[in-house]
Amino acid sequence: MTHSKQGLSRRGFVAGAIAAGPVLATLPNATIVRAQGKTILNARLQRDITVLDPGYMVGGTEIAVQYAVMPRLAHVVNESGTFTWAPSEYMAALSQDDPTHISFELKTGFMWTNGYGEFTAEDVKYSLDRMLVSDWKDKWLALDRVELSGPYSGTIVLKHPSPAIWLTTITAGAGNLVCKAATEDAGGQYTTEIPATCGPYVIAEWTPKQRLVFTRNPDWPGPMPDFDEVRYILVDDDTAAELAYEAGEVDITRVAVSSLPRYTQNPPPDTNVTVAGHLQYAWLGMNTEHPKLQNEKVRQAIQHAVDVDSIIQAAYFDNAPRSFGIVPPGVFGSRSQASFGYDPAKARELMAESGVSGLELELKTLNQQARIVSAQIIQANLADIGIATKIIPLDSGPFWSLGRESKGDEWMDAQIWIMRFGGALDPLDYFQWFTSEQVGNWNWERWTSEEFDEIYQKLATETDDARRLEMISRLQEIMDESAGYVWLQHEPEAFIHRSSLNPVIVPTGEYDFRRFTAA
Amino acid sequence: MLNYALQRIGLAIVIVFLVVFALFVMIHFIPGDPVAIALGPRATPEIEARFVAKMRLDEPLYMQFFAFLGGVLQGDLGNDIFSERPVLTILFEALPYTVILATAAMAWSAALGIFLGCFSAARPNSLIDRITGVVSIGTITVPSFVVSIYMLIVFAVFLKWLPVIGAGEPGNFWDQARHLILPAFAVGLGWVGYVARMVRASMLEVIGENHIRAARSFGLPHRVVVYRYALKVAILPTITLLGIGFGNLLSGAVFAEIIFSRPGIGKLIFDMVMTRNFPVVQGGVLVTAILYVATTLTADLLAAAMDPRIRKSL
Repeated sequence: MTHSKQGLSRRGFVAGAIAAGPVLATLPNATIVRAQGKTILNARLQRDITVLDPGYMVGGTEIAVQYAVMPRLAHVVNESGTFTWAPSEYMAALSQDDPTHISFELKTGFMWTNGYGEFTAEDVKYSLDRMLVSDWKDKWLALDRVELSGPYSGTIVLKHPSPAIWLTTITAGAGNLVCKAATEDAGGQYTTEIPATCGPYVIAEWTPKQRLVFTRNPDWPGPMPDFDEVRYILVDDDTAAELAYEAGEVDITRVAVSSLPRYTQNPPPDTNVTVAGHLQYAWLGMNTEHPKLQNEKVRQAIQHAVDVDSIIQAAYFDNAPRSFGIVPPGVFGSRSQASFGYDPAKARELMAESGVSGLELELKTLNQQARIVSAQIIQANLADIGIATKIIPLDSGPFWSLGRESKGDEWMDAQIWIMRFGGALDPLDYFQWFTSEQVGNWNWERWTSEEFDEIYQKLATETDDARRLEMISRLQEIMDESAGYVWLQHEPEAFIHRSSLNPVIVPTGEYDFRRFTAA
Repeated sequence: MLNYALQRIGLAIVIVFLVVFALFVMIHFIPGDPVAIALGPRATPEIEARFVAKMRLDEPLYMQFFAFLGGVLQGDLGNDIFSERPVLTILFEALPYTVILATAAMAWSAALGIFLGCFSAARPNSLIDRITGVVSIGTITVPSFVVSIYMLIVFAVFLKWLPVIGAGEPGNFWDQARHLILPAFAVGLGWVGYVARMVRASMLEVIGENHIRAARSFGLPHRVVVYRYALKVAILPTITLLGIGFGNLLSGAVFAEIIFSRPGIGKLIFDMVMTRNFPVVQGGVLVTAILYVATTLTADLLAAAMDPRIRKSL
């Protein structure tokens, strides 16, 4: 019997395998910034889109899609470190004529896709009217009506002055405008398919759970965006996204705060780090009604016992600005000093004055690395003044029900916790959760102050900046005086991207692709 | 044989029903307020109310289950609570990716595992047999997510030979194949060891039997005896193992799907559990249970068809 060597020899197999690597590497890469004569941007999408209708969206990634393809009256700009608004490219004129009247005049020639004609003032009126009955109507509480004065012009009439409406509503997701005729044809609302768009980009492809592709809108009369195509690629996990960036598959991604030191100190080649904003605010909350914490001296002792700088260093690697109140840096009214600070001697003195000894507390926190590290430092700090603390990590479900009366009786046992909220660009947005009305809902600290409520109401309609600043300052002082808070830090919205890319990311973390430029 | 098949199919339906019921109950007993988790802490009361109504959370659990079951019997798994897309559409968009991944993983791991098992069995207690044993146990014990991450770092980040994320350009076969290599390798690696050990044990048993000794005594070459005569008999238990294994891979692929950001049924269910999108979770669990039971059933029927001893014992 003879054996012919027709099959693959071992030596041949090994040689083939070695050769396969470079060959695979030479196959066309799906994600290259400049390819096939086109400029292509590959951006990481954190969550797949669900509802693109501004009235019924979840928010977040949907807003970035809306920004790319839908019209709006104004957008956010950063002027000397403070966020404010500027008219969008659709506007010939946009101004606040008096505290309750905003007049607008649209440029002509902006066409809706799918043959729905020109973008007109009628679309603006329809968009805002429908917001009053939408899921996001709370954002438009100040809106009374829209009066049209011509096909391209009109006036937005407010029920009362609302300086916050610019940065919390008009420039935000709830300020994106829809096509009246197309939306009516779609039955009044829509989910993942926008019936007509009017932006520099159009949605060319959506592959659920994979990617969304924008291409240039050939009928766009405004300034053309720098990128011919934007591929918005779904990578939900932060670590996977960082690897995808390092492998060259995405050109920009949000990064976890724990990864920031690596990228700031030793970035990959051709990489910049951009911090879009610090609109998250974190604090150690105390239930002022809990029997163990009713003594104000005890709470004040805790305020002085917590070493916030150590928390920022250990849990956030010095990448989060220290918090001095709930208004974050960059937002009008942000403070640079709180009325208390780390002073263990004073904390011990206050504990002695309180007459309380052998105190044991439960510190509840979300089960996340940075929060747990923060909790451990707080535990050590409180031990230093004679308070024994037990850390209880919780998943998001139980945690977010902790202080809400509508979710059970847990709120009665809540003692101290690490909390983080996020806000918009106007200070009013931050105070809304701490009024007397919010006790048992989001005011888990359960303190009330008539003065606070009164100033908060006035702030909503106050238009004079000096008086607003005074009010914001007093509101934060009252919160300090409640002794229900230890201000911790403002977590950054940080992104890594190619050096050749100048991204525009709104401080709440959404990309504004139409304003991205390539160097 | 027909009676056996009918009995197994009947049992399969009962199993699917019980699995779906058990998971339905478990999903609803996950701690935490599903409304807050799904919508985030700041959802307006209107959004919360709409969510509760859509999810039928204001109804007793048994009503929710029977409503789901009624829908299933009519071929309607409901709609995604956010996008309102039909659950069936969403599932059938994700399912092919998982089936392709599981098939590719099982194919390469079975091919290599069978080869290693035969190779070891043909040289029992030799150095090669021992090395193969260590390799097999090694592949079984290393978790697939660890393999996934290392593969990703080495072949995608450092060498840049293969892509990191996704399933490839829609409609581009070669791109999709490139995107399949790392996840399929990571998912299948553990099965190489299982298959190799199973084949080796079966082969050693079969090699000692009379018909194999008879084949050797006729002077047939070693390779022919091992691969044509012994393997044909020894492969039967492995077929059953592969049937169960394929079912396991369907759910086990979730790690690779998450790490490689690859769409698939496992990742879909994982994401939807995290957002408490119950209609999609329930639909996904139903489809996965059916697939699992179907593959196991197919393997059993195949084994019975191939082995007269099994048929005779029915």
